[in-house]
Order: sequence, then C-alpha cells, then structure tokens
Amino acid sequence: MWDQVKQALDQSTTRFLTGLATLLPGIVALIVALLVSMVLAWILAIVVRRLLSGMRFDEQLVRWGFSSLGDSSLAKSPTLLVSRTAACLVILMGFLIGIAAFDAESTSLFVRSIFAYIPNIFGAALVLLIGNMVARFLARTVLIGAVNMNLQYARLLSAGVKWLVIVLAVAMALEHLRIAPGIVELAFGILFGGIVFALALAVGLGSKDLVTKSLERDAQKASGEHIEEPFRHI
Amino acid sequence: MVEQIDSADLVVGILADLDQDGVATLCEGLRTLPGSLRIVVLQSDPVGKASAADSQAAEENASLSLLPWSVFGPDPLGAPLERMSIACQSLFAASDKLGARACCVVASKMEIATARWVCQLVQPLLDTDVDLVVPYYASGKLQGLLNSSVVYPLTRCLYGKRIRNPLGPDVGVSRRLAQKILGANRQPKAAPNGTHPLAALAPVAICDNLQVCQVHVGARLYPPIDWMNMSSLVAQVLGPVFVEMDKNAACWQRTRGSVSVMERGELLSLPQETETLDIDRMVETFQLGVRDLREIWSLVLPPATLFELGKLSRLTQERVHMPDELWARIVYDFALAHRLRTINRDHLLHSMTPLYLAWIVSYARELETAGAAIIEQRIERLSLAYEATKPYLVSRWRWPDRFNP
Repeated sequence: MWDQVKQALDQSTTRFLTGLATLLPGIVALIVALLVSMVLAWILAIVVRRLLSGMRFDEQLVRWGFSSLGDSSLAKSPTLLVSRTAACLVILMGFLIGIAAFDAESTSLFVRSIFAYIPNIFGAALVLLIGNMVARFLARTVLIGAVNMNLQYARLLSAGVKWLVIVLAVAMALEHLRIAPGIVELAFGILFGGIVFALALAVGLGSKDLVTKSLERDAQKASGEHIEEPFRHI
Repeated sequence: MVEQIDSADLVVGILADLDQDGVATLCEGLRTLPGSLRIVVLQSDPVGKASAADSQAAEENASLSLLPWSVFGPDPLGAPLERMSIACQSLFAASDKLGARACCVVASKMEIATARWVCQLVQPLLDTDVDLVVPYYASGKLQGLLNSSVVYPLTRCLYGKRIRNPLGPDVGVSRRLAQKILGANRQPKAAPNGTHPLAALAPVAICDNLQVCQVHVGARLYPPIDWMNMSSLVAQVLGPVFVEMDKNAACWQRTRGSVSVMERGELLSLPQETETLDIDRMVETFQLGVRDLREIWSLVLPPATLFELGKLSRLTQERVHMPDELWARIVYDFALAHRLRTINRDHLLHSMTPLYLAWIVSYARELETAGAAIIEQRIERLSLAYEATKPYLVSRWRWPDRFNP
C-alpha cells in the first residue's frame, strides 16, 4: 500500500514539476519582456518630457484653454502626465508581448483581441481631445459675444455650449468604444435635448426685451423715422 | 474696363456711395487740376449708373474717363474694412498698370461736398515730392472715437508722426508708395497675415522716410454705428493696426517723441453736439466684462492692470474713470498678445470691447459740455500718455516673459 501511495505521490509530483517546467520559460520570458519594456519606458519618458518641456507644452495648453489640466491630481503638470502615460503604454505592451510567451493559442487570441481594440481606444481619445478643444473654443466665443451684448447670463450660456459639445464628444467616444451603445444613445438624446431646451428657454426668456427693442427699431426704420446715433466711431 | 485705357497721370477710386450729382461735382473738381492731366476715375457702383456717366464724361472731356469698377468680387457685403482692403489693392494695381503718378481713394461723403476737396488730397502728390496725403477731418467729439482713442495716439507714439487719420479712409498715394504696398503683399513672408493697404500706408511711408502731408478737408459724414456690432468693428480696425505694428517693430522701437507733419488747408471746427448720453449700458458691459472675462484678460494683462480694472468696476457708475496711462498700457498689452498669439486673435480683439467702452464712458463724461479746443487738448493729453508709456511697451515687447508687472 505504501508503495502505491508513494507511486501516486511520485506521479503527481512529476506532473507538477512537468507543468512548472512548461510554464517556467514563459514566466521568465514575461519577466524579461517586462524588464525590457520598463527600461524602454523610462528612456521614452525622459525623451518625451524633454521634448514637451522644450515646446513649453504646459504654457501652450493654458493658451488653448486647458488651464484646469495642470490642476489635476493625476500629475503635477501636463508634461509629466503625458510622459507617464507614454511610459505606461510601453510597459503594457511589454506585458502583452510577454503573455504571448505562454500557451501560444489561447494567449495569442487574447493578445490579438486587445491589439484589435487599441485603434478604437485611440479613435475615442482623439474624438475626446478634439471635442474638448472645440468645446472650449466655442465656449470662449460665446462668452465674449454674450458679454459684449451685455447679457447677464453670459457665463451660463457659455457653460451650456461647452457642456453640449463635451456631451456630444463623450457620446461619440463611447460609441467608438462600443460600450453599451443602446444606453449611451438614449441617454445622450435625453441629455442633449434637455440642454438645448434649457438654453432655448434661457435665451428666449432672457432676451425677449432685446428682441422687442430690435423689432421696434426695425419698424421705426421701415416707417422712415430718424434714429439718433450719437456714437460714430470711425 | 481699365484695359480700355493705355495710361493715366492720376487714378481716382470712388468707394463712397455718391449719386450722379456727387460724382459729377467730383469730376468737375478734378478737371480744375493744373496741367493737362489724364485722369481715370473708377466708380464702384452698379454698371448701369456708371455707363451713362461714362459716355457723358467721355464726350465732354477726353482727359477724364469715368469707368465702372467691380472691385468687391463675390462678397460685396463682406466686412467693410475687408472690402476697403480689396478695393485699395485693386486701385494700386490699376494705378501701377496705367503708370499713374498718383492715385486717390475717395471713401467718404463730406458734409459740405465742394468740388475741391478731392483735389486737396491729390494736389500735393502732383506738385511736390509728397508720397502720402492723409485727411484731417473736422470731427465732433463723439465721431471717430476708435481713431481718437487708439489708432491716432498709437500711430503717433510708435512712428513719431502726428497723423490724425492714419487709416484715412480717403487718402492720396504716390506711385512709389503704391508700389511698395503692392510689393509687400506679393512677398511670401507677407502671406500669413497679409498686408491691409490702408493700415500699412502710414507705417510704410514713415519707416521708409517718405514724405507725408495732412490736409484739412472739412467734416465727414460718418455712417451710423451698428451698436450691437461694436466688437466686430474694434476687431476689424485694430487687427490690421496690430499686424503692422508687429511688422515694423524694428522701426518704431527706435522712435522717441513725435513731430507734426506738413499740413495744408485751414483747420475747420465743427459745431458740437449737445445731446445727453445714456452711458449706463456701457458701464454695465464693462462691469460684466471684469466679472466674466477676467480669466481671458489674465492671459493678456499683467496683474497690476487687472487689479486696477477690478477697482474701477467696483466704483459707482458716475465715478468710473479710466486713466489715460492705464488705457495706453491696456492697448499695448493687447498689441503684444496679438503678436504672441496668446489666445485666438479674434477672441483677443473682441474681448477688448468692454475696456474700450469704459474708456468711452470716461471720455464722454469729461467732454460732456466741452468745445472743440478742449477736445483737442483732451486728445493731446491722451497722446502724451501713450508716448510717456512707450518704455513699458518696448520692455514688454522685447522681454514678454521677464517683464510682467
């Protein structure tokens, strides 16, 4: 009996050691891939940081209207954020390549599906970035225009326009990522429609005096009444 | 239509909306110019009206040809200064092609349209070595405010010449100066911003040491202001001025003080308006600007200026008064931000409007019951403030990051 127990233990130990021996090269390859990718990531981070510092990336972002990015808790400065993001991406790619060293078939399918999804991520990031820039540009345009027209709710109008465009960009990005498309579409429709309705009410109710005066002026012009214009600037 | 003419001594471009009588009066005045000049008058109006006058003029006097001038192209209702730019380019090109000694832009209607007023713009170009003739309008205290508040004092301070209306729009230009302006526009380096001909005339003439003459032409009929479009007007006028300022930085940084230019004609004074003004809206716009545009202004104006604007906005409406030195520094800061493209240029110039309105409030209150002499003194004081603050501009221009009070 003891011989049978000993034989069973020997067989299970052999199976374990065989499995470990099969996995070990893969683990070593993964560790090596991670180490190499960490070194590359470190080098890339230094290069990106120097490049962006030379371009005064932080100041440029403030000019483009992204002054709040520097206050984010994720990083002390946008330059640091971009360089760390680039480094993390390199390490992630190293990890995925290292995983491919394991069971060739199942891991390579997994890696392939992740790599196939990466273009969607880049597309969504691009949509968000462009959407953000457009939103800030339009918000600033509306704010300045509304202030010059002496509209007391200029800030509200500007914020409304900005969030309208951002909501649109986020919805487009989520659709690009194929995350709950049905829910996103419905939620976007309701939110967008609500914002537009609120803006229309704000503008319509707030500027009805302006519209009335404008219509009165047009009516007077049509009837030939002379309107004094004391300021003739140039 | 210019192709029908081989050559000319003088080319006059009429951009003002004159009726047939007005054009006839103008042509009559041009015929009195001494010397047997070949004059081409280009009138930008519908073909029908010009054709009838053309045939009549051709019969009466072969030395003067009146031709229709389709100058505005596919967008005749575009921004006024943009159209002026296209028109001036076209006129200079036509003048160069015809080998004319001088050309003249007529863009205004005068309150008293005599036959001679255009001749006053043209005669110095033909008789003497003058290259640029600019008008000196007899304007009321509330006319030409943008010119009085920014364009004139800034041009005077930068280039050292007291040219009262550097942007015309009625100007006389010699062949030499017209060729320089045409040449500047053809250069590849000029492509990014282009050269606005009217804005470039005075700076190019002064920086190239050409002769400038100023002529008293009487009172101009100013078009009614579009109150709701004030910011567009500010942007259209100041944009080209700031662009020229950037291009000619090497020239104006060396200039100190200012001198008068040659003048012709008699200074005419205009009866002053006595209407009361409602400036509460302008003060409200200024206060709203300080409250809502501070974030944008902080990218352009230094902290000291923002602090002073904040103090001004907290005053009661009757006590809002923008000092001349503060206004001059604000104009310089915006000019610098325009050069550095700190923010989108369109946004920059439009956001200047509430500050401009605050200056108008101060100016209008000071001169509520003032006569012509007091107005001139007031503008002189403002111009001296610009000149006194020039070292601030030079420091900020040369070291925008290091010098930021």
